[in-house]
Amino acid sequence: MGDHYNNTGGDDGGIKDQDRFLPIANVGRIMKQGLPKNAKISKEAKETMQECASEFISFVTGEASEKCRKERRKTVNGDDICWALGTLGFDDYAEPLKRYLHRYRELEGDRATQEKISNTEEKDEELPSHRNNQFRNQAETSRPF
Amino acid sequence: MRQPGMYSRMLSGGGISGRTGPHLLPLARIKKIMKKSSDDVKMISGEAPIVFSKACELFIEEITRRSWMMTMQGKRRTLHKEDVASAVMATDVFDFLATLVSDSSGNSQGTPPAAALEL
Repeated sequence: MGDHYNNTGGDDGGIKDQDRFLPIANVGRIMKQGLPKNAKISKEAKETMQECASEFISFVTGEASEKCRKERRKTVNGDDICWALGTLGFDDYAEPLKRYLHRYRELEGDRATQEKISNTEEKDEELPSHRNNQFRNQAETSRPF
Repeated sequence: MRQPGMYSRMLSGGGISGRTGPHLLPLARIKKIMKKSSDDVKMISGEAPIVFSKACELFIEEITRRSWMMTMQGKRRTLHKEDVASAVMATDVFDFLATLVSDSSGNSQGTPPAAALEL
């Protein structure tokens, strides 16, 4: 089978693998995490795990995107992934992941606010809390102070 | 001696400054795999690959744990792909992987279905 003119690697699927799978080093490291120190993992086992992980992602994403399609939404979000995991039997993952997602959203909210503050020109002038109050001008009258 | 994985962790980190922990898996690659899963997938929010990076970690850890039990049953210290195949066949929730592992391993180890692991 000839015409792999764009194939600079040795293997047929060498270049495609990079897109289709998670890096073997990362996968191998996660595998090692749950095993005793002297445990060994064959290269083939790691490769099989790469394939399984990609299949997992596709499987769950398929379910999540189907939900979005039915609800006429264009964007698959974190909640959809959590929902799909629960539906497909990965209940043990769904709850910890919802908490993880919630925490991520809180942190991202903080970070976005911080970036707004540090991106303005007058960042040396006032304390950050003063900036925040600017957004709450309308509510000030209802505040005790 | 340099710790294995230290460098790849630095490379795969990013996104949220490691405040929910450094990501063990590259988010861009996860996004690519998600996009390829079906034509239905149009747009993916930034948080979806982050959820998946954690989900994949849990997933890989679980299969690995179950596979290792097969390894130990065979009184070995090296986890082989046949152990992964056995673990998949023994666990209902991993049914979607059944074809994948039987393709790659050829013959199964013959672990009886009654040995389903309930962890």
